[in-house]
Amino acid sequence: MVCILGSFSAQAQSDRFIFGFFPEASLSYKLSEKYSVTHKVESQHGLYDSNNLNEELEYEHSLTDLQSFIGRRFSPFVKVDIGYQYRIEEGENTHRTIQQVSILQRASFYRIGHRIRIDETFFKDAPLLFRARYRLKGQIPLQGLSLDPGEKYLAVSNELIYMIQSSEDDLENRFAVSLGFYFDDKNKFEVGLDYRTDDYLVEDKFRHRLWFKIGYYKSL
Amino acid sequence: MLCFSLAFAQEKNEVEKRIKKEDVPRQAKDWLNDAYENKRKTKWYFQTDGDEKAFEAKLKHEKHLHSVEFDMNGKVRNIEVLIDKNELDEEVRKVISNYLNTSYTKFSISKIQIQYTGEGDDLEDVIDEDEFENITISYEIEFYGKTDTEDELWEALFDAEGILIKKRIVNLKATDNLDY
Repeated sequence: MVCILGSFSAQAQSDRFIFGFFPEASLSYKLSEKYSVTHKVESQHGLYDSNNLNEELEYEHSLTDLQSFIGRRFSPFVKVDIGYQYRIEEGENTHRTIQQVSILQRASFYRIGHRIRIDETFFKDAPLLFRARYRLKGQIPLQGLSLDPGEKYLAVSNELIYMIQSSEDDLENRFAVSLGFYFDDKNKFEVGLDYRTDDYLVEDKFRHRLWFKIGYYKSL
Repeated sequence: MLCFSLAFAQEKNEVEKRIKKEDVPRQAKDWLNDAYENKRKTKWYFQTDGDEKAFEAKLKHEKHLHSVEFDMNGKVRNIEVLIDKNELDEEVRKVISNYLNTSYTKFSISKIQIQYTGEGDDLEDVIDEDEFENITISYEIEFYGKTDTEDELWEALFDAEGILIKKRIVNLKATDNLDY
């Protein structure tokens, strides 16, 4: 793996490559017919960073996010959420507010979730960071035409993020593929890779991040 | 009509899995071969919905998706054919549209299937002879329907004239992994 990563960073001097482990877990429960709450914790653990001179595998806790959302379902296909995130990171812990609309699209045997999200991150000494994001995530059953308890599925997603902080803006893309285990409707597990690229609008800089991701989705 | 539909409202929790051709009763495969004249691309499924168990064959025939249901012994029960809204019989469409318009403030049809029920020989004639003798025709329609009190995805069965026989709520799967 180090070899592959090494050649990646050799391609362009200004490219930065990061590889790491990214576990996440969410817990959702209903407050009423229409309202629900979701708590999510996710954590990034860097194992490799091409900017480090020795280029050896070394562990670094990058950050941990604690999120809480309250959502209202407007129809079986449309849900609106507002959320808050507390990020624990070296240097400064930050606060973030999140607003999102999720739209479910059903097709013959697969389904697609569209997520439109905006978020605002607050720093102590830096200006507000504003981001607008759109994610599309497809879920395809791998055994039969419908996803039933005990079966596996494939999840593919892509998210495009535009961000602006005072007058500096940038784009980030996140592409993820994962294998999902649908234990039942209240328990899902996904394992896969999340490939993130950013610094598109920053001159002489480009960053690749590849995360090995595992996620558990629990609802009560 | 409203009382009728309320009385029959229940929930759909179907479980289906793909199975191999070898696991399908001989009688079911024989019937399918006779009716569809050895169609090659057939996918077989096993389905349960509570106590109800069935084998199901899915195949394309004359540009339509057919689902043929068999009981556990392999005896054919019914054939469902996926159709477009504009393929619905004009009179039937009027009656169903009228029901949807009067029962829901907002609705949208997502799927229509014609269901043919009858004896094996008569069902075979539907496919290879285009004959509908001794066949019960009904329409299974999946639609999103909103009233002042309900906001759901429904699966409803209408008879040959387009009159509602029964309906049930289709439970959508949790979207937590798509939303967060």
